[in-house]
Amino acid sequence: MRIARAGPPSIHAAAFAGVAAMLLLAATALPLDAPVLALFACPFRTATGWPCLGCGFTHAFQFAVRGQLGAALGASPLGTLLAFAGAAHASWTALRFAGLPWAPAIAAGTRMRWACAVALAANWIFVAVRTRP
Amino acid sequence: MGEVAIARVAWKLPKRTVRALLDVLEGGVLARCPSCHNTFSTERTGRQICPVCGKPLVVPEPQAGPPTAELVSEPQGTPWERRSELGFWQGWAQTMQQALLEPGRLFASARLDRAGAQLGFAILTTSVFWAIGQILERLLLRGSTDRMRELFGALSQNPDVAQMMQRMFEVQSRANSPAAVLALAALTPAFTFVLLYVSAGITHVVAAVLGQAKRGFPATFAACAYACAPLVLLAVPACGSIVGVIWLVVLTGIGMKVTHRISTGGAAASVLVPYFVLCCLLFLAVGASALALRNAAGVP
Repeated sequence: MRIARAGPPSIHAAAFAGVAAMLLLAATALPLDAPVLALFACPFRTATGWPCLGCGFTHAFQFAVRGQLGAALGASPLGTLLAFAGAAHASWTALRFAGLPWAPAIAAGTRMRWACAVALAANWIFVAVRTRP
Repeated sequence: MGEVAIARVAWKLPKRTVRALLDVLEGGVLARCPSCHNTFSTERTGRQICPVCGKPLVVPEPQAGPPTAELVSEPQGTPWERRSELGFWQGWAQTMQQALLEPGRLFASARLDRAGAQLGFAILTTSVFWAIGQILERLLLRGSTDRMRELFGALSQNPDVAQMMQRMFEVQSRANSPAAVLALAALTPAFTFVLLYVSAGITHVVAAVLGQAKRGFPATFAACAYACAPLVLLAVPACGSIVGVIWLVVLTGIGMKVTHRISTGGAAASVLVPYFVLCCLLFLAVGASALALRNAAGVP
């Protein structure tokens, strides 16, 4: 990843910033561990006993926005990373709208693809081991 | 390092015939990267770096004589993207017709630089019919709630259970109030926007990890946006949503195959794997909607 000169954000960059802000706001406002939301379980985990790839992400978001970093990392390290990446992207996009002429350029090469795959697998193993009864 | 395809560029002006680029811009050629399949313009031949994916490639010398290579042209756009010339309703109707009956043709004509139009199509189509479906469902299911309450009340001899059931039905009745239904219907564009981008983002990440994201996020987004066309079935109470969502998955697969120019297997994998990821998120979205309704109804 490198920082390069860039114009105003694209529609997709702006939309992702909006989505990230809305999700972080929802994680702040909605009580995930109280009824009604606490009654909803992952159907994949209910059926198989194993977590799905996204299990723990919502709790990671919930703890991350409240500053409980340890609990967030315990729920899902990748979810925590995603929450911080979302916050960083939303903030950076706001700055670009304000005139910041720089943006990160990420090349989606083979190395990045493998890094994503390994991160997903490692996160799933972590969550599976941690939540296994 | 691969040698790229090369074509002389056509320069088309309104009411003029297509002419070779060498007549207009001396030395400029369009080259297609063998790695990412993106087309870019270059002023020189030989070894260079693809400006899109950054991989090295070689642009060969153009052949002398009259141009024989095929002309590289941008797709003309879907009817919705050309609604300024076709008209709003005609553009929407033709896009729906192509999405449901000729999806390959629709996705092949989609322009990747028209993200705003694609977003507008998805939000308009999904949210309007979703809102209609919610209102119809509340109207049609209103009578059955009273019957269910009587049935459960009669079945349960335990006063605590009967009380809990009564409370559940009260919550449901308040959520079915006209104000709550209209409030939820008004929020559907926001829900659609978030779900569309979350779905497109996850699909693209999976496609990228599998090496199938050949033409970048705009291609994935175009596939996901036009795949929302069958969600008009959300207006049909009960079974409409199930049929609509299954059709959406199939259309997204076709869209990924055409817009990214990948194999059927790669497209199927890119589309189906995210549903394991979305498993949790989908249930959270349903739960969040239920909580919003509960709060709107004023239940503590």
